[in-house]
Amino acid sequence: MAEGKRRRRPTEDMGKESSERKSEEGRERRTCIGQESNETTRRLIRQQYRQLIASCQQNRDLMLSNRGDKLTEALEDADKLFAGVSEPREAALDAQFLVLATNLGKEKANQLQSDMAEFDSIAFAEDLLTYMGINRLEREDSDSDEDQNTSGFLPNNAWYKLGEEAKKYFRRAPVFHFMLGTFTADPPVEKPRIERQRKKAGPQEETAMPAQLKKMEESHQEATEKEVERILGLLQAYHQEDPNTPISYLEFVTDPRSFARTVENMFYVSFLIRDGLAGVKLDPDKLPIIEPLNPEGEENDQDSLLRKQAVISMNYEEWQKIVETFEISAPMIPPTTGTQSDAEQS
Amino acid sequence: MSQSRRSSKGPGPSQVQSMDVDEEYTLTQTQTSSQVQRNLERRSQNQVEHKVSELVQFLLVKDQKKIPIKRADILKHVIKDYKDIFPEILKRANNIFQQVFGLELAEVDPKNHSYILISKLPPLQDDGMKEDENTPKMGLLIIILSLIYMKGNVVKDSVVWEMLRRLQVECSGRKHKIFGDVKKLVTEEFVKQKYLEYIRLPHTDPLEHEFRWGSRAAKELSKRQILQFVAKMQKKNPKTWMSQYNEAEAEASGTGRH
Repeated sequence: MAEGKRRRRPTEDMGKESSERKSEEGRERRTCIGQESNETTRRLIRQQYRQLIASCQQNRDLMLSNRGDKLTEALEDADKLFAGVSEPREAALDAQFLVLATNLGKEKANQLQSDMAEFDSIAFAEDLLTYMGINRLEREDSDSDEDQNTSGFLPNNAWYKLGEEAKKYFRRAPVFHFMLGTFTADPPVEKPRIERQRKKAGPQEETAMPAQLKKMEESHQEATEKEVERILGLLQAYHQEDPNTPISYLEFVTDPRSFARTVENMFYVSFLIRDGLAGVKLDPDKLPIIEPLNPEGEENDQDSLLRKQAVISMNYEEWQKIVETFEISAPMIPPTTGTQSDAEQS
Repeated sequence: MSQSRRSSKGPGPSQVQSMDVDEEYTLTQTQTSSQVQRNLERRSQNQVEHKVSELVQFLLVKDQKKIPIKRADILKHVIKDYKDIFPEILKRANNIFQQVFGLELAEVDPKNHSYILISKLPPLQDDGMKEDENTPKMGLLIIILSLIYMKGNVVKDSVVWEMLRRLQVECSGRKHKIFGDVKKLVTEEFVKQKYLEYIRLPHTDPLEHEFRWGSRAAKELSKRQILQFVAKMQKKNPKTWMSQYNEAEAEASGTGRH
């Protein structure tokens, strides 16, 4: 209310003045002399209005406080500015400020209502601190350098004490507790987080494991390949020693000391034949003979030749007969490890 | 239920939530009540009772966090194939809460259908309950609720922060030794629990918010009680604050708390 009156009073007075000035300035403009300076003053007025509006917005709380009369001061400033207003653009800013000031006034009026009811939040805060058992003597000391208003002077149970009192006012349903207390509903949410952290922490472990596995697979495959290559080497060596004598297949694969080794040798030799590195033919006595083939020369023929498949069977008795018949005393393919054949022997 | 909903006429927008939502809800309820009875006859009593106890257990556990429990969650996790008799299950569960636990199931958000449990019994003086981590939070909360009510049911956030600062609770920077991140507690936890509403004010730069009572606050305490708390703290007669006193008395007599 008071602000409203003040606002109106100066404008009535200024009204005449400003209208006088307006016509004066208008005349000036028509003569085109003071136009530039007029433009500058207008810009200045606009800038001042904007500053005023901004400061009102930023210091909203200050404007609303009971102490001081900031709102009135702002209104008086605006009135002074309005004296220089001649164009609608500046008047619009004045109107904008007035809207803001009115809102502030409204809020102040609301405040007034509760002020009448004498609710003083500062006193309330003080009473709460008293209830919580604050040690004021010590606090007064620190008040001198206000910022060091730390919580050290409230006893540790202060908030519990207030909380206990507060609970009496709530119709809050007591929460369900587990009898031994340790069991809360939260952990399931936290668990995946821990796992994720672990994963991030140990990338080395992760890479180490697959590397090991790979090695094992490789060594297994390599063993077969190496053995096949070794046998090919042996076959080629025997052939080179005496190219004109065909090598008996049965004599080549048979290990007189081990049936298992014999079967194994047959298995490895089958790879040689599949890959076209060795061929099996029948000699005039209808016994199978084996000879190494030149893979490069054979390649073209291999494509043209129809693939033939043959199955050779051998059981324990047949193996024994072969050893006797061919009088094999030592294997043409020596076993890679002695222990293996030893075990077979016994 | 309808009675408890009427009492939600507290401060805050539970008031604002338009009547037509209420009407719509009661409408669907009455529409289905005969159907529910028919559906109920098709189920065995054992099955229905089993669902009711499941619901009671679910709500008790869910209530630990004090975040209103959504109807959608209840349907999804407990009711499942019994949706056709949900109102009946809810009614029976509420009976159990009232008769066995001294609690009451209340709907806080008729629009999104969420429920809270509130105590039906008067709080005991020195109930000897062990102090838990929520105790100091309730102290902080009652201060904010008091401030809101005494300042005309709505306050700017800056007023709240200033009040807390006076009580040596800083809302920015360092973590408080009891409350941790105070701003998060006040603007997130209390808001999620529907004790407070934290509303952004339009066209403010820098951003400003205002606090009001949330719908749970309106269910768990009355204006008269909050005035009693303030009066006790300030060692004054509640009539000192005439307008607040009149408002509280109007609420107490007008809406008739259970």
